[in-house]
This record gives sequence, structure tokens and C-alpha cells, in this order.
Amino acid sequence: MNARRLARVLGRPLLYAFLVLFAALTAVPFAWMITSAFKSGGDFFLSLFLPAGNGFLGVAWDHLTLDNFRRLFREVPMARSLVNSVFLASVTSLFATLCGAMGGYALSRFEFRGRGLLTSLVLGTAILPVPLLLAPRFELIYHLHLLDTFAGYLLPQLAPAFGVFLFRQAMLNHIPAEIIESARLEGCGEIRIFFTLVLPLVRPMVGAFIIITFLGVWNDFIGPQIILQSAGRQPLAVTLAGLGSNYGNDYGMMMAGTLVSVAPIICLFLLLQKEFISGLTSGTVKG
Amino acid sequence: MPRLPSFLSPAAWVIVGLAAASTIGICLMRPPASRALQFWIFAIQHKPFYQTAIAGWNHTHPDKPVELVLMSGTALQQRMMSSFFSGTPIADVLEVERSNIGPAFAGPLEKIGFVDLTDRLRDQGLLDGINRPSFSPWTSRGRIFGIPHDVHPVLLAYRADLVEAAGIDVSRIETWDDYFRVMAPLQVAAGESGGPGRALVVGWPSDYYIAEMLLLESGGAIFDARGRPTLNAPFNARFLARLATWFTGPRPVARSVDWFSASGHRMLLDGLVVGLPVPDWYAGIILKLEIPGLAGKLKLMPLPAWERGGRRTSVWGGTMLGIAKCSPRREDAWEFAQYLYLARATAEALFRRNGIVSPIRSHWTDPVYDQPDPYFCGQPVGRLFLDQAPHVPVRTSSPFNEQALTAFDNCLISVTDYAVRTGRADPATLVPEAQRLLDQAQRDITALVGRNAFLSSPP
Repeated sequence: MNARRLARVLGRPLLYAFLVLFAALTAVPFAWMITSAFKSGGDFFLSLFLPAGNGFLGVAWDHLTLDNFRRLFREVPMARSLVNSVFLASVTSLFATLCGAMGGYALSRFEFRGRGLLTSLVLGTAILPVPLLLAPRFELIYHLHLLDTFAGYLLPQLAPAFGVFLFRQAMLNHIPAEIIESARLEGCGEIRIFFTLVLPLVRPMVGAFIIITFLGVWNDFIGPQIILQSAGRQPLAVTLAGLGSNYGNDYGMMMAGTLVSVAPIICLFLLLQKEFISGLTSGTVKG
Repeated sequence: MPRLPSFLSPAAWVIVGLAAASTIGICLMRPPASRALQFWIFAIQHKPFYQTAIAGWNHTHPDKPVELVLMSGTALQQRMMSSFFSGTPIADVLEVERSNIGPAFAGPLEKIGFVDLTDRLRDQGLLDGINRPSFSPWTSRGRIFGIPHDVHPVLLAYRADLVEAAGIDVSRIETWDDYFRVMAPLQVAAGESGGPGRALVVGWPSDYYIAEMLLLESGGAIFDARGRPTLNAPFNARFLARLATWFTGPRPVARSVDWFSASGHRMLLDGLVVGLPVPDWYAGIILKLEIPGLAGKLKLMPLPAWERGGRRTSVWGGTMLGIAKCSPRREDAWEFAQYLYLARATAEALFRRNGIVSPIRSHWTDPVYDQPDPYFCGQPVGRLFLDQAPHVPVRTSSPFNEQALTAFDNCLISVTDYAVRTGRADPATLVPEAQRLLDQAQRDITALVGRNAFLSSPP
């Protein structure tokens, strides 16, 4: 066995050990969050993970409780916030993807006066930091009488510049102009071309962008905090922030709330991770 | 099997399904257009018994229903100030914490966004009925803009298990000097027995909570009654010099123990400090709910004074109930505010659930305050706090309080550093340096306050 082959044989287990170690390190905060959500206030600061006791593995299993979750749903409008989060994230991601794809298609495949300027403008707005737009956005929504409405939150996000530019690039790279020309020659209308020809060709990008937007809106705190002021309209991120107070924090309930908040998104990601990754990596390898 | 159209991936179809289902959910759960009085709060700890009280109010006042909204203190402050500046929507009634109220008092008196309650309080006899010093954080230029929610007197919580095991008699303690002398047998220098040691009291130079609490107890102040900075008063310099010696020398008597974190709680549990100054809310919420492991190990006593015969308490934190001036239903809001804050049931619930004693003097005779508390070795905790309630120091409502406190605390850090560098342990030798630093801080804060035309010009 030569040295290179030996290194390869020994290197792989080492590589896996290294990866497992870092995966475990990444999992530590999640493990802490999950165990904390099931601990009572009395046990919270007495043990790092599970409450210590005389049970199996030295754990006081009988000390684990669902009380944090009960209080969470009783004292805070969690169910309502969960529905609000799903609504805002899913509707925003769908419309943002649709509008982004349409905008990208127009900029990539239609010849019209000012296209270059418009593309530069879209790119220019994409590089503006979001916090910079908070105040003008708030003022605009206020003057449109859309404050504290779902529309006030959704409208400014329907055609993100980043999405338009992303789809423009994807369409330039993945859709040969000849296919579209052929479709037009066959008498296909633009709407039909878009839905039956263009979108399927950038399907991985569609999937990835939907999930990216979904995650972004799900985790958005500052936007809904500013626009959606009624408790009945607030998503999970804002409701969770209300669990802390100047008088101290109920950490058990906060961890239970965080678990409720991240569980759907973890499930969604696990379900769709293949598509998410293929969307992100499409175009990275010439094929 | 029917196939889904190919232009969307399975992932996208899942999202489409979620969007459809949640849209139906939103439509079904659409709240009716609210005509209720809006009541904003920031403390989730108060929510359960407020909800009970509001349910009672809504039952007896169906024409004036109240809706409770909980939000973070920062969000409440931002929305409050946004409304005061630009007329965006705000609640009719709102609870505001002391650290968030300052900016509301920065403008001209007539432009303050809260209803001036001074005359109403006087007419109702509440100026005498409520603990007088508790009005101070909500009073600007002589006018009162909120009903105090609390008193928040400060006592000293000490490790009774350690103290009694050492045979120490705390009744011999009147001043901080007494405290450090009597408790000295319990002090263990870091590394002395191979461990982290044990300090006698919680405190560290960069903690402006403790600096303010102890300064107020000592009789010092960083603003005068007219809101003018007084950081460089000679009294403050002497106080600063004395406090700096707590953190210096071979065996510092004070130690850093974070007030609100797991590490701080662990240090208290492990007995790394003997005593800590605690207001009622800290005793009732943080200690009892977050550190139940200390049950039966702590006792409370009045804070040691800075001088014999001096004040034995201080104050930390505070909340008020205010009525937004732009509310179209101010009279309803005032009626509700009185219902909620003056009710004996609210005071009792506030104490039972959060350990907070009421500022309403007529409630102080309630037997609930005399009940022994097993957490504090059976002491009547409510009574101990109430005994000190009338003596809590008056506080400033200056919008520049946070900046001034930071400047004051920076001076404390610098004096401490100076003491360490020069090896000076006698407070008297530190006073000149403290005075020099405070003079500079005074110039900075005076310049800052001077930029506010409404507060700096003489009334």
C-alpha cells in the first residue's frame, strides 16, 4: 500500500470524525433548547441539559414537564401567531417568487428601450441595506393607511430586487433564446411560454428561492414588529420577543416558544432539503 | 394518479398548500373590528392577573371594553415615541417602565404625549393616598403623567444558612462598615482555598444599576429637583471614592454576579457571595421563580446605611400607567386606570404572583403582606418591604438620566482603576481623583442637557 493510498484510507475516517465532531457542536444549542423547554423553573439553572436525579442515566425523568408549553399556549396567542407566520411566509414566498421570476424573465428575454437602465436600477436597489428602507417604508405604509394590515407587510415584499436579478441570471444561463423563439413561432402566447416553458426550466431555482424567502419572512422580526401592531396579526418572531421583560425572563417558556417556532421550519427544511440544495447549486457546474 | 403541473416543484407545491390553508385560517380567525380601549403592557409577568381584572371590567362595562396587548419594552417605547412625534396609532392606556420613559419628557411640557394627571390625582386624594416618592420618576417640571404601579424598595438578601452557621448576629449591622466587619469571617479571597472564594456583597464597577441604587440610598443624586446635572457635587465624589474601595485591595468585598443570567444564578446558588441588594420584584420574580434552589437559604434585612441613622433602603426599577393624550376616550381610560391600579384585588395579585408591593398606602394593611414566606425562611417579606416603602429615595425623571448614569459609572470605573494602579485603599485619598473625573462628566452632561432648549431654559 503506497503512502497516498494509506493517507486516503486513514484520511476518510478522520474526515468523518472531524465532521461528526462539528455536527455535534452545532447540535449543542439545539439540545440545550429542547431540554430546557421541558424543564421546570426549579431545574432550569441546576443542570445544563436534563435535570439531574436518580433515574436512568442519572436523569430525573419525572422532573420533565410540559408545563412550559401549556402556559405558552394559555398565556400567549401562540396558535394565532403560528398561523400568521405560516400565512405571511408562504404567501410572501409564493408571490415574491412569481413576481421575481416574471421580472427576471422580462429583463432577460425581452428587448425594450431602457432595459439596461432598468436592470441597473434593480441591481442598485438590491444592494441597499434593508434597515435603510425601514423608515421610508413605514411612512409610505402609514400614508397608504395600510399600517397594521397584512397587505401593509406583504405589498413591499412582492417583487424583491434580489429575486428579480436572481431569476434574470438563471434565465440567461438556462433558457436558450431559440426555444422561446420556436414557441412563439408555434403561436404560443407569452403567459403560456412563461408557465409551461420558462418556469419548468428554472424549477430548481424556483424551489430554492421559495424556501429562502419563506425562511427570511419566517425569521423576520423588525418588519412585522413595525407594520403589524395588533397582537392578533403578529407572527411568532414578534410574539416570542414579548416573552422577555424588564422584570426578568421565563426561560422555560421562551425555550418552549423557540422550539414551537423552529420546529415547523426544521420539518420543512428536512422535507425539502434536496430541492433546496439542488436549487442553490444549479449552475455551479457546467453541464 | 393526477400529476401536478410541472412548472412548480414538489417543494413549491407544499408552500402553495400552506399558503392556501393559512389563508383560510386567517379568514376564519379574522378578529372583529375592535372598538375596545387599547391597553399596552410590556411585562408578561403581569398579564395573567390583568387579564382576570380586564375580564371583570369588560363584564361590568360592556360599552367600554378593554383589549390587552403585550409587547416588548423596546417595541412599546418605539411605538410610543413614534406616536408622540408623528401621530401614529398608540394605545389609550399604557404601562411604561422607567428606563423607557425618559424620551417622553424631553420636549415642552404641553407637548408631552401623556395626559397630565396632576389635578385628577389631587382631586381624588391620590397624591396623599399613593406613596409620595413613587411619583417622582413620572413627574416632569412639577406635573405628574402617570400612576405609579409600584414602590420597588430595596432590601439586602443574605445567605442566612451561611450567616447562621457562622454564628453571626445580623442585628448588630446598621451601616455598610458594620456589615463588612460583622460578615468578615465569611469572606474568602479568590484562590485562598483553591476555589473562587466568597465575596460579601454583589457589585462591580461597570454595573450602573448598583451604582445608582447605592448613590440614591446614600442621599446623593445626579440631577437636582429642577433637572439640572449635579454629578460633581462633593457628596457624590466622596460616595464614589468609598464605593470604589469595595472593588479594590487584596480582598475586595464586592464581586461581579450578573443579575439576570444563568451564570449569575449559579454563583448565588454556589454561595460565592453572601448578600445582594434586591428590590421586591427581584425577590419575587428573579429569586423565587428563577432560583428556587435558594429557597430556605435567604433572609432579608434593611440595606445597611452609609452613615449611622441613615436611610436603610433604596429603589430599583419602576413602572407607571399613563393615558395617551391623543386618545379619543380619555375619560374612559382614566376610569379604567383607576379600576385597575387602585383595586385591592390587583394589589394582592401583584404581590402574590410577583412579590411587588403596592404604592397605594391604604392597601398596606392587607394581611397578605404579613404572610410568612417559606422562600425567605418564613419572614413576612411584604411587611419588610413595606416598612421601607415610605423611605425610598426620590428619583429624577430627566430624559438624560441614562447618559448621566453612564457618565457617573464611567467615573466609578476610572476611580477604581486609579485605586488599583496607585494602591490607595483609603477613600479619602481617592476623593480628589473622583472629583476631577466628576467635574469632567458634569461638563459633558451639562453640555448635553444644554442642547435641549425646553429643559435647559429657566422656567
